[in-house]
Amino acid sequence: MTRWGMVIDLDKCVACQGCTAACRAENNVPFQGPEGTAQGRAMFWNEVIPVVEGEYPDVKARFFPRPCMHCERPPCVFVCPVGATYQDEDGVVRQNYSRCIGCRFCTVACPYGVRYFNWFKPNFPEPMVAYTNPDPEVPVRPKGIVEKCVFCIQRINKAKEKAAAEGRELKDGDIAPACVQTCTGRARYFGDLDNPDSTVSRLVKSTRAFRLLEELGTHPKVYYLMEG
Amino acid sequence: MEQLTGIDEERYLEPVKKVGRGFYITVAFLLSIIAWGAFAWYTQFQTGLGITGLNRPVFWGFYITNFVFFIGISHAGTLVSAILRLTQAGWRRPITRVAEAITVFTLPVGAMNVLFDVGRPDRILNIILHPQGRSPLIWDIGSISMYLTASVIYLYLPLIPDIALCRDRIGGWRQELYRILALGWRGTEAQKKRLKMGIGIMAVVVIPIAVSVHTVVSWIFGMTTRAGWHSTIFGPYFVVGAIFSGIAAAILAMAVVRKVFHMEHTLKPRHFDYMGLLLLVLTAAYIYFTFAEYLTVYYGYGGSATEGSLLTALFTGEFALTFWVMVVFGFFVPGIILAFPQGRSIRGTVIASVLIVFFMWVKRFIIVVPSLSRQFLPYPTGFYQATWVEWSLTAASFAVFVLLYVVFSRMFPIVSVWELKEGEEEAREKAEEAAKMLAPAGAPRQSRASEVLG
Amino acid sequence: MNRRTFLKALGATGVTATVAGQFVINRSTGEAGAPHAAGVVRKGETWVPTVCYQCPGGCGILARVVEGKAVKLEGNPQHPINERRLCPKGQSALQILYNPDRLQHPLRRAGARGEGRWQEITWEEAMAEVISRLKTIRDQGEPHTVAIMHGRLRGEMEGLIHRFLEAYGSPNDISSASLGRQTAKVAHLLTQGIEDLMAYDLENANYLLSFGGSLLEAGGPPMRVVGAYGQIRRGRPNRAKIVTVDPRFSITAAKSDEWVPIVPGTDAALALGLANAIIQMGAYDKDFVANYTFGFEDWTDEGGQKHKGFKTLVLEEYPAKKVSEITGVPVANISRLAAEFATNKPALAINPDRGALHASLGGSYTGAAIHSLNALVGNLDRPGGVMVQRYPLCVPWPDTQMDETARKGLRQPRIDGAGSKRFPLANSIYQTVARNSWEGNPYPLRALLLYYTNPVFSSPQGQEFVAAFQKMDFIVDFSPFFSDSNQYADLILPDHTFFERYENDLPPAGTGYPVVGLRQPVVEPLYNTRHTGDVLLQVAQGLGGGVAGSFPWKNFVEILQFRLSKLGVSWEELRKTGVWAKPLYPFTSPTDSRWHSVVGTDRRYAPKDGRFDFYMRELKGLFEKKGITEADLAGMNISARGDLVYLPHYEAPHRTGDATEYPLLLNTYKLMTHAEGKGGNVPGLQEMLGLHVGVKWQTWAEINPQTAHKLGIKEGDMVWVESPQGRIKVRAKLYAGARPDMVNIPFEQGHAAGGRWAQSRGANPNTIIPSVTEALAGSAAFTSFGVKVYRA
Ligand SMILES: Nc1nc2c(c(=O)[nH]1)N[C@H]1C(S)=C(S)[C@@H](COP(=O)(O)OP(=O)(O)OC[C@H]3O[C@@H](n4cnc5c(=O)[nH]c(N)nc54)[C@H](O)[C@@H]3O)O[C@H]1N2
Ligand SMILES: Nc1nc2c(c(=O)[nH]1)N[C@H]1C(S)=C(S)[C@@H](COP(=O)(O)OP(=O)(O)OC[C@H]3O[C@@H](n4cnc5c(=O)[nH]c(N)nc54)[C@H](O)[C@@H]3O)O[C@H]1N2
Ligand code: SF4
Ligand code: SF4
Ligand code: SF4
Ligand code: SF4
Ligand code: SF4
Ligand SMILES: [Mo]
Repeated sequence: MTRWGMVIDLDKCVACQGCTAACRAENNVPFQGPEGTAQGRAMFWNEVIPVVEGEYPDVKARFFPRPCMHCERPPCVFVCPVGATYQDEDGVVRQNYSRCIGCRFCTVACPYGVRYFNWFKPNFPEPMVAYTNPDPEVPVRPKGIVEKCVFCIQRINKAKEKAAAEGRELKDGDIAPACVQTCTGRARYFGDLDNPDSTVSRLVKSTRAFRLLEELGTHPKVYYLMEG
Repeated sequence: MEQLTGIDEERYLEPVKKVGRGFYITVAFLLSIIAWGAFAWYTQFQTGLGITGLNRPVFWGFYITNFVFFIGISHAGTLVSAILRLTQAGWRRPITRVAEAITVFTLPVGAMNVLFDVGRPDRILNIILHPQGRSPLIWDIGSISMYLTASVIYLYLPLIPDIALCRDRIGGWRQELYRILALGWRGTEAQKKRLKMGIGIMAVVVIPIAVSVHTVVSWIFGMTTRAGWHSTIFGPYFVVGAIFSGIAAAILAMAVVRKVFHMEHTLKPRHFDYMGLLLLVLTAAYIYFTFAEYLTVYYGYGGSATEGSLLTALFTGEFALTFWVMVVFGFFVPGIILAFPQGRSIRGTVIASVLIVFFMWVKRFIIVVPSLSRQFLPYPTGFYQATWVEWSLTAASFAVFVLLYVVFSRMFPIVSVWELKEGEEEAREKAEEAAKMLAPAGAPRQSRASEVLG
Repeated sequence: MNRRTFLKALGATGVTATVAGQFVINRSTGEAGAPHAAGVVRKGETWVPTVCYQCPGGCGILARVVEGKAVKLEGNPQHPINERRLCPKGQSALQILYNPDRLQHPLRRAGARGEGRWQEITWEEAMAEVISRLKTIRDQGEPHTVAIMHGRLRGEMEGLIHRFLEAYGSPNDISSASLGRQTAKVAHLLTQGIEDLMAYDLENANYLLSFGGSLLEAGGPPMRVVGAYGQIRRGRPNRAKIVTVDPRFSITAAKSDEWVPIVPGTDAALALGLANAIIQMGAYDKDFVANYTFGFEDWTDEGGQKHKGFKTLVLEEYPAKKVSEITGVPVANISRLAAEFATNKPALAINPDRGALHASLGGSYTGAAIHSLNALVGNLDRPGGVMVQRYPLCVPWPDTQMDETARKGLRQPRIDGAGSKRFPLANSIYQTVARNSWEGNPYPLRALLLYYTNPVFSSPQGQEFVAAFQKMDFIVDFSPFFSDSNQYADLILPDHTFFERYENDLPPAGTGYPVVGLRQPVVEPLYNTRHTGDVLLQVAQGLGGGVAGSFPWKNFVEILQFRLSKLGVSWEELRKTGVWAKPLYPFTSPTDSRWHSVVGTDRRYAPKDGRFDFYMRELKGLFEKKGITEADLAGMNISARGDLVYLPHYEAPHRTGDATEYPLLLNTYKLMTHAEGKGGNVPGLQEMLGLHVGVKWQTWAEINPQTAHKLGIKEGDMVWVESPQGRIKVRAKLYAGARPDMVNIPFEQGHAAGGRWAQSRGANPNTIIPSVTEALAGSAAFTSFGVKVYRA
């Protein structure tokens, strides 16, 4: 079995938001503009969340890059009335853009705030629309439906196609989601958590490893490595 | 068809027969609100839900509030009437239909608000084409449609004799409609027996369905992990809340019917007194649940920062004003009014009911929005302000409900004429029996019977 | 072993390798390789290498091109600066190529200057007009009244522009470096004798003391520094300690092990205070200091005159207590930081590109003081130490043909005052051009060409340029976008964007070893635009005579091919890889003859004796040559006298704006999401602008919550930030990472023109920053002026 997972080393992450930008570009995530952003409608399949604490001069800040956790027990999937969000055989929580009715039950159910709703028709003014990723897995979404990080499924597919064409099994490191590939601090890792030899499997055994909101029982497949 | 005696049927057929200017003005007024709502919906459909005040994380707002509210109100009718029927409360007779109609007309309005809320109403059939049984939303669809079906039957069955009455008394274009709907009712004993059996069965069936409806509605929230929602009491809490607001709504409908159709003779202060008492019990129950809800959260304050932040938002933060006004004027003030016999006058119960209905809407809002505004991860807190579209569609929702109700009350007798008559007969029989047994003490009994009747 | 297999071998071992005495600067952390966009190349798809130009970082790009459209950018895994990675600006760069607000044709002004009415013209008309205007001025014997102001120039564009002006006869090649990187270069020249930014071997250092730069957000080639950060944190057994000195709690500060919130403009005092403690502890590198530096001890010159040395100065003037009072850094921290710096070898004191050095009028001295710490611990040209950036060997330009007009023009003083007694060391001063030209000091400019720069926006008191422009005859801008400045131009001759043109790119100091990236078109130019290099060549040819004779190339690509012909890689190969590098840094030692290439190389007035100058002989030589007197010093705002002038020292900031009326200091800065002033019309960047404060799409002022409370300002209020120069309206953001005596405002917003997302958004702090110029480097001082803040 394959169980795709991600590890983000907070000690190497510099909160650059390269991942956010790469994800936007790779996955045709529309921007919302000043008004939309002010209303909290900006979309980031991968958002970097800042936490600033303390008082001058004893200030501390931490930053969590947050893709979808691809929960093993995904509340979003459980609540979807039409199965528009579902878990595929590799554990990736995917999105069926043509089935979603836009009820936003999943957005309400996801404890990680990972899911984004298309409040309007996506804004790609000419000629910007030209640079949208033509991969069929990432169409520009219509208004009225929900979208989120899908672990760059198009890249997973491409890597599989390539391995198949070369007549071999997928290797660890064959797949780099856009955010992982660009990660400026080389803080992100992607791979098969079921493969005991993969980099991610090795890293999640680290004493620094933790997951977000583990107590909710969602069993995220995104792990973080603590700073320090 | 046998002759009705003591009851003046004409009085009840009057509103059905004569449709005055007031009706047309009302209908025109309601239709204009609805037309405006249609425009708002069209605009929303064209531009996207972006023109609402909804956002991330407050993904749900007025529409879901309305949905929960109307489904709650729907418990007025069927549930209240079923319980009263089963307990054979004689005073129910003039009330049941007034209440049952509320159920039948609020359910579609509630469902309609779901349609307002979804991003892709054009794909709504996916719910039927690709239902995913795990989703509480699917449970909801199931139980609400069941409830609607049951309620329609439950409204319809006792209506049959009255439809027949209309068929016999009212001519014109409607006669044919009445003829069909009357299903050949002749009032034979066999028919009567079957009808009573039908009503009896429905009254039993409808209660668990009604309870399930609001339980399931609560689970839309309760099945998530969100602060303030993730609670085991949500099922009963919502059911009680629904009955609570439902009774209040029924009282309001009674008052309006009484006034508009001049039914002072039928809907008497006593009815308001009894309903007021019921309402008082539920007020107490609801206050109890609300207290239990927040205390458990509050007690575990340190447990989750998100819940703490939610409580702060409610008690002292941005929702505090709404929250406290609601607690005081939505629960305590009505409770106090209803606790006193003088308060259970028509005016008193109406005031209490107005407060309760309004603040139960607010309460739905307070359940939906603040919880959404607080997230587990340290995102900025959310904020929500409805736009003209949501206000318009909310107004239109109420207008649709009122319109349906008004039209219904102009098509069919709004109180159950044959049941009143039956009650009168029963009472007379009882009274006669009593008179036989205790001739000297007959007088007070007599009055008792008329009370039951009247 | 060829370069690529060599790099691969490195990737596999992930250790620092030594090859015949040379060190390879290696940034790989040993993880699995980087496939481009994971996997198969789907139908109709190609990958074109090019080089990013959102910031000067010079990262290599691979552009995914599908059916003639660039659809995604990845970092070029072979480019040693970024190795597969791109920052958010790079990742968002296609929003520049496909920006809906690009200029599509040459434009001629139709209304009054600044009115914004334009007429489309053909390139032929445009070229004819430029040529005739420039010819007229030159024929009238006033070629020096033509200036080119430019932002950063990459590769051969620099030579081309310089050569153009030389052949034409104008000394006025004016760079934006005085707003940015000039001071650090001057500081390094005066001490180490190298006129460049320094490269730092971060990966192998054990202690990084970064002064006032946004190390992880802006300065350095950002991707090289951030890559090194990962290596320092997790790529090796021991974690280096990172200390960030900055008045602002930046993301860099957050990611450091320690934040030192210093009073702005006082870094020199802190650096010298640290030196004081290190010397007192006796923890400095005595051998290195004694044998390979100059002016540490007191010394006597040939004339027998005694001079004060660095040690005496530092011991006398910078005891911890005094330094603490100046800088606001507690005494205990000063001695602890000094001890850590001296004992955690190798330790680096890192000069910023701009930040602290542009805070006050003592910037060059500050840079010298900071850099002296590296010499004090002997950490020059060693693993984990300061490196000197090497550049590729290009074929030299042939001599310029200069006719008499050109020679006469070149003898004229510069319009910006650079090289005058007031600014004796400066090469180029950007911010003075407006006032000087307007006042006709020493002459008014008649024509101005603006290339890749936006002075109205980027310069303190940029509005002065508007006034100056109104007096000029002819202004040409080459930007592919409208800008605050080209609103006043007569002609706009839109350049290709960097995805549509050829250009070589030498990344700024960082790797140490030489790197050349090749920028090349990833798609056909979308519009009727032209490479400014080609335009200038055509103008030169049109001007005829010596100017034409100096440019025998048909187009800019020919220049590139000519200059890069000896690189050892063919043009075709370079186009395929997009980068050439020689990833070997030749560390030397003072006993090595090659030491002279790392110390003293660029000195003109002092001996190239391989000694690091604590006592800045270059400066002394220059001042003597130029006959600088005490009065001149006063004019230069240098308060020191005697030997102190030539020693790194602390010059108290010249605070403008009365301290009681304007009690706060304003600090402006760049974020990772900033592309100088160019990011405003990139919606993707706007939408994630201020991560640490959670503000986007607008200008905010970071105010300490206590200060805000005192001023009655609440989170999110609109406030006025006012200096004697004017006021701007911004949103208040209460931020615990702001000093109570400061407000921080990011630089980027507040454009008057530049596209739908940039325009009329937020406010430009430069409108309220006084234009004051530091004497030595000629750089603009940004941070030492007072403001007041109140609710709007
Ligand atoms: N992401 C990004 N990277 C860039 C650029 C960009 O636009 N965006 N531009 C490039 C260019 S042109 C340049 S010049 C460099 C500039 O690179 P840097 O100099 O590193 O960056 P700045 O943001 O200009 O200033 C850095 C810091 O100096 C601090 N500072 C201000 N005054 C003082 C002081 O008195 N003392 C100390 N210790 N600190 C002070 C500010 O708070 C700010 O955090 O960045 C380059 N890299
Ligand atoms: N307050 C404050 N002011 C600052 C700074 C600060 O930190 N604070 N930083 C300073 C620093 S370090 C610098 S380097 C300067 C930078 O300031 P500038 O030198 O003005 O550079 P930019 O703002 O990057 O870009 C200038 C113009 O280049 C044009 N342009 C964009 N792309 C192209 C192209 O492909 N071709 C051509 N020909 N033109 C193009 C655009 O129209 C843009 O307006 O700002 C300085 N100003
Ligand atoms: S993080 Fe949210 S969206 Fe992602 S799988 Fe879990 S519940 Fe679903
Ligand atoms: S919004 Fe779409 S994906 Fe989410 S629960 Fe509703 S139908 Fe499913
Ligand atoms: S895995 Fe892909 S979709 Fe998910 S955050 Fe990273 S880039 Fe975005
Ligand atoms: S790209 Fe990497 S370093 Fe940058 S914010 Fe994302 S995870 Fe952190
Ligand atoms: S660091 Fe600079 S050159 Fe590199 S990707 Fe970012 S903007 Fe481009
Ligand atoms: Mo700069």
